[in-house]
Amino acid sequence: MKENSSVLPPGRVLRRLFLTLFLRGRSSRGLQKSGAPKTVGSKLALTLLFYSLFGLMATMFIGQPLFVLTVYLHSMTLAFLGMFIASSAGEVLFNKEEADILMHRPIDARSLLWSKIGVMVQVSLWVAAAFNLVGLVVGAASPDGGWLFPLAHILSTATEALFCTSCIVLTYQLCLRWFGRERLDALMTTAQVIVAVVVVMGGQLAPQLFRFRGRIGVPAHSWWMAFIPPVWFAGFDEALTGHGGPMSWILASVGVGITAGLLLLAFGKLARDYERGLQTLQEAAPARPQRSRRRWAEKLANVQPLRWWLRDPVSRASFLLMTAYLTRDRDVKLRVYPGLAPFLVMPVVFLVGMRSGVTIDFGVAFSSAYLAAMPVLALNLLQYSQQWQAADVFRSAPLIGPARLCHGARRAVLCFLIFPALLVVSLLVWFGSGGGQFLAMLLPGIIALPIYSLLPVVRGRWAPLSQPTEEARSAGRAVSMMGVMLSSMALAGVAVAARTLGILPWFLLVEAILSIALYVILRSSMNAARWQPLE
Amino acid sequence: MISVQQLTKKFGAQVAVDALSFEVPAGQIVGFLGPNGAGKTTTLKMLTGMLEPTSGAASIQGFDLVRQTLDVKRHVGFVPESGAVFESLTGLEYLQMVAALYGIPGQAALERIKQFIAFFDLSFETLTDKLLGAYSKGMRRKVVITAALLHNPPVVFFDEPLDGLDANAAVGFKTLIQTLAREGKTIVYSSHILDVVERVCERVIIIDKGKMLLDGAPEELVAAHGSGTLERLFTQMTGGSELEQRAADFAKTFRP
Repeated sequence: MKENSSVLPPGRVLRRLFLTLFLRGRSSRGLQKSGAPKTVGSKLALTLLFYSLFGLMATMFIGQPLFVLTVYLHSMTLAFLGMFIASSAGEVLFNKEEADILMHRPIDARSLLWSKIGVMVQVSLWVAAAFNLVGLVVGAASPDGGWLFPLAHILSTATEALFCTSCIVLTYQLCLRWFGRERLDALMTTAQVIVAVVVVMGGQLAPQLFRFRGRIGVPAHSWWMAFIPPVWFAGFDEALTGHGGPMSWILASVGVGITAGLLLLAFGKLARDYERGLQTLQEAAPARPQRSRRRWAEKLANVQPLRWWLRDPVSRASFLLMTAYLTRDRDVKLRVYPGLAPFLVMPVVFLVGMRSGVTIDFGVAFSSAYLAAMPVLALNLLQYSQQWQAADVFRSAPLIGPARLCHGARRAVLCFLIFPALLVVSLLVWFGSGGGQFLAMLLPGIIALPIYSLLPVVRGRWAPLSQPTEEARSAGRAVSMMGVMLSSMALAGVAVAARTLGILPWFLLVEAILSIALYVILRSSMNAARWQPLE
Repeated sequence: MISVQQLTKKFGAQVAVDALSFEVPAGQIVGFLGPNGAGKTTTLKMLTGMLEPTSGAASIQGFDLVRQTLDVKRHVGFVPESGAVFESLTGLEYLQMVAALYGIPGQAALERIKQFIAFFDLSFETLTDKLLGAYSKGMRRKVVITAALLHNPPVVFFDEPLDGLDANAAVGFKTLIQTLAREGKTIVYSSHILDVVERVCERVIIIDKGKMLLDGAPEELVAAHGSGTLERLFTQMTGGSELEQRAADFAKTFRP
């Protein structure tokens, strides 16, 4: 934001503002406070680097028809953008504090909305560009690609980014319009989770559908393809590069038409609802107190064996705090559930695609190991809150370190997120494989669960809700999740090998002994950890 | 000037502001008082165009609050109680952004900003080099006050403006608003610091549960109710008169 002697239109001022805020974060925590930030967006640069590296996967499509590559690229782009926009949209579109700063200024809701959308589209295009960089080269080098492909793909990806953004914004607007203030918070979270899940499932299922058909290309009679968004944009690429038939043009038209319609609805017709939404965020009074809803967690904590598990009063308080935030706080819900949903869906997608015995073994073991590793991500997300300064109360309490708080938070994550997900996966395995013969493969993950749940908190730096939300956007988390995914795969691979060799019980015994030993070490290290000095 | 008629705001079944009516002429400083949850902030948010009224009407400088909201916003300045700012901007970036939203050219904005920082005794280097997140509460409040007055609005709403200001800055601020009023600005001053209100405001409006309780010059109201001070009048009117006894009873619970 440089000095300027001319008068900028408010829309441009706002776009510049929101881009700066997006790159720097809304609070100054984590930035060099004593000096104006010279290099903004270093975290974004890391994120873009991560996506560029992930884009290297496109090299696997060298020699394949262009359409296969573009379906893959658009599926993954849609999945990434969907997750990225869905997780940012709540904070960007509906920020409570922003109302006190901007709502009394002479800005109309439409300019405000457009500026925010402009920034989201701009940043999502950077993400898309980073991911598609290698794909562009691979596509241009393919026989049915050529020099027109990069141009066509850039255009189709930009349209896809607009499609994705307008889908998410429209979902918000419709929630506001249909359900109003009273249920806005819960519905926005639900809508976001649904969008994230649908986008990820769509991204995963599109390639599965192609495999199911057993052939590649745009079959003339595949009417169902017109319902898969990544295929519209792949058709767009094919049509513009001149290698597509009439079906490609139809798919491209469907994509462009639907995107235009969504844009018109989200940013044209429903912009007034956005203003109403911003106003309702300032309304302090809830419609009616929901006492019974607030007591259920306390009642649950009094039921054995949870009561015994939470016998330490500090852990119990932390458990109740986490439960409250997981069920009530809009900001935490908007970050945690959409952040976790794609990862929770992944095992289900994996299990649905199982075929033979060994694949099922691996699928079950991987799903269980993957879910066991989920506390790493969940606890990571639960250290962020808009009310992070309130966490000072933990430091002023007579506690030597955050360990007892961590135990409570860890247990809340296990009880409310991981155990239910494991139950769903177990049921899927039971019914999906026609019996219980594969259930044993869930055990390697379940045995590793306590270890994973200790990992994020073991160094004593973790405390519930103690970090500002701006620090949640970190490429480091993406890298650590990649590590978690690889370790889950390794664990599943070893378990499958052990089963194939007929030594699964011995493997489980050794894993259990190692896990117990590791658990004791990690736990004692965690209990000994003192508070880290404040920044 | 401000004109309010039967202004009402409901949140679901709860009435936050109940048919409030008053007028404030140009050049007057009005203290807007009430206990917590009385509806003061909701009223101020409605009058600054941040919240849409459920019913009733209001106009600021002749502009209708509902039909000409943007015009209303151009003519008001507002210091919200929260003192919220974008913490990751420097003070100067923030003020320049605010100036741009009101269409103030860059150079003119810079000159005005310099006038304010000289008045508030802030250093220009702090404004350019430090992020707002690093400012003390008082410094941040000075930036928020500057942001509210930068476009020279004829009507200004202050919601707890002294929160965080040191004694010197508070004295300077009180002098500032009196000067602004003398120049013809309409000022609505909402605060819980009643002795300041008593000294600064020529008129007070006391509301409770969204309804108007009293409206008049402080000294006249105090005399009419035989209260002695505005503080005593306030507690008398808003049901706080038994507080001393309650505090004494409560203190007993701490005895060993």
